Amino acid sequence: MLRLRTVALAGVRMMFYDKLKFAGTLFGVIFAVVLTNQQLGVFLGLLAKNTMFIDNASAELWIVPASTETLQPGKPVSMSALYQARTTPGVLWAEPLLSGVATVSLPSGGSEQVTLVGTRPDCWRGGPWNLIAGSSSVLRRPDTMIFEDSERDKLGGLNLGSLREVNGHRMTVGGFTWGLLPFGPSYAFASYDLARELLKTPSDQTSFILVGVDPHADVASVRAAVQARVPTVQVLTREEFSRKIVRYLLLRTGMGVTFGTSTFFGLLVGLVIVSLTMFSSVIDNIREFGTLKALGCRTRDLGILLLVQSVVYGIVGSIAGLALVSRVAEGIRSPKMALVLPHILSIATVALMILLCAVASLLALLRIRKVEPAMVFR
Amino acid sequence: MSNSRVVEVQGLTKTYGGGAVSVQALKSVDFHADRGEFVMLSGPSGSGKTTLLSILGCVLRASSGRLTLFDRDITDAREEELPALRLHLIGFIFQGFNLIASLSASENVALVLRLRGIPPKEAAAEARELLTEVGMPEKIDTLPRDLSGGQRQRVAIARALAGHPPLLLADEPTANLDGHTGLQVTEMLKELARTRGSTVVVVTHDNRIFHLADRIVHIEDGRIQEDQ
Repeated sequence: MLRLRTVALAGVRMMFYDKLKFAGTLFGVIFAVVLTNQQLGVFLGLLAKNTMFIDNASAELWIVPASTETLQPGKPVSMSALYQARTTPGVLWAEPLLSGVATVSLPSGGSEQVTLVGTRPDCWRGGPWNLIAGSSSVLRRPDTMIFEDSERDKLGGLNLGSLREVNGHRMTVGGFTWGLLPFGPSYAFASYDLARELLKTPSDQTSFILVGVDPHADVASVRAAVQARVPTVQVLTREEFSRKIVRYLLLRTGMGVTFGTSTFFGLLVGLVIVSLTMFSSVIDNIREFGTLKALGCRTRDLGILLLVQSVVYGIVGSIAGLALVSRVAEGIRSPKMALVLPHILSIATVALMILLCAVASLLALLRIRKVEPAMVFR
Repeated sequence: MSNSRVVEVQGLTKTYGGGAVSVQALKSVDFHADRGEFVMLSGPSGSGKTTLLSILGCVLRASSGRLTLFDRDITDAREEELPALRLHLIGFIFQGFNLIASLSASENVALVLRLRGIPPKEAAAEARELLTEVGMPEKIDTLPRDLSGGQRQRVAIARALAGHPPLLLADEPTANLDGHTGLQVTEMLKELARTRGSTVVVVTHDNRIFHLADRIVHIEDGRIQEDQ
């Protein structure tokens, strides 16, 4: 243990002594941390935007058309499934949710699309949420809708009380949400009946059915019971639906490959920088390593020395990099762009960077293995 | 072998490289040093004296011949055993001082002690004591870059003496010092080794310090020419 502490101390002192090399190695780690976290933060932000509806709907179960993979409405769900669900033991409530693309005519003559969401009054299961102006109850008023605040300019300078034609019907702006921007058009909310009228949906059809489960009931059992009653549609738990969407985005949209590639290259470039600077540091101090060997250090001791340096580089670089990323995240935060940086990502980053530095030090270790203690006499 | 014999080599040869480009640095060398002796290995550049010192210091393997350290035949010792032998039995003094640049004078000295398993506080105390003995009490916390050549070599001597190794090997310890400092440092090395009963083998071609030797062994062309 004492030997370990001794080589660890020597390693730390050696790395801080050469400030330029220290800064260079640290730069490599910080570069890798910033790039990977920025990419993963954007990626997680996009995933969150696409699953936020499910996260905010407070429904334990979702009844969705068969083969549904995203929240984009496909084949409609029969309203009979709603009644089947409501009469299933363990179900606390069940509400329909209508969703479809609507066209907003702009005063300039152009048009923009929104994802129109219709929910039932009073309970408003499925939204709106994150309201920064108005309240859900404004949707009770005739021909009133709630739009996304960050899309106000895009939709022709919307204000509370503005009038817009949506799918050919004149609507009044009753409120604004903040940050409800999925991959496609932003969300706009209307009461269920109004949305049905605007989307021309037959009264016996809907897009999705949200189901709340009695807190005392087992969600999996209730899910199975509902599924048995409505075999032609899918009944998914909230987590299953979220995972389905994430899987779809990862595998079917190229998002996974795009962000995965840039994250990989961030790590690779970081690895190369750290590897080369640590190797170059060993070359610069090769005589010192030879001296340590001559004095009685084993190659294993010098491996520990490098490992300690790797851990220090990994921790210091991660902390500096994460601080920088959080500053960047604060700076660019907007409804359209939000970096999601969960604590688990920070913890994983530190662990990954220590691993990266340890792997990077292998090149230096290979060089140290070859150092002959006899070199000190040359 | 005599009980007082610290190191002995018999029929030692060392060949560098192979085939047509091989160079025979040592040719059947017999050498020994006894307890408390201050032996100097002299000879022109390329004569093989540093190669002999490297083999005595267990940092280089001989091509053939036998090496005995403290009555133990270590000719065929495993590679993994050698660091421990060097750490516990041998103190090194190098021509270029070879101090660890990032460690202070006392940390350089204490490093060897701590590697030997001496607790940090005791190691630091012994390091301070040794630095005082070599006349550097005020430079304990100074980094090597802020020391003169003579001061660095004094720190190197303190490091070599740390833990009382019975054998000290010095390679051209005066080569980077002026004549006066070189003589002072060698006198100090001899005195400190004498008080500790350590055996010292010094490689040098500095004839200004020859008078300090108990024995001078002259090597030329890989062979011992004279042992006086």
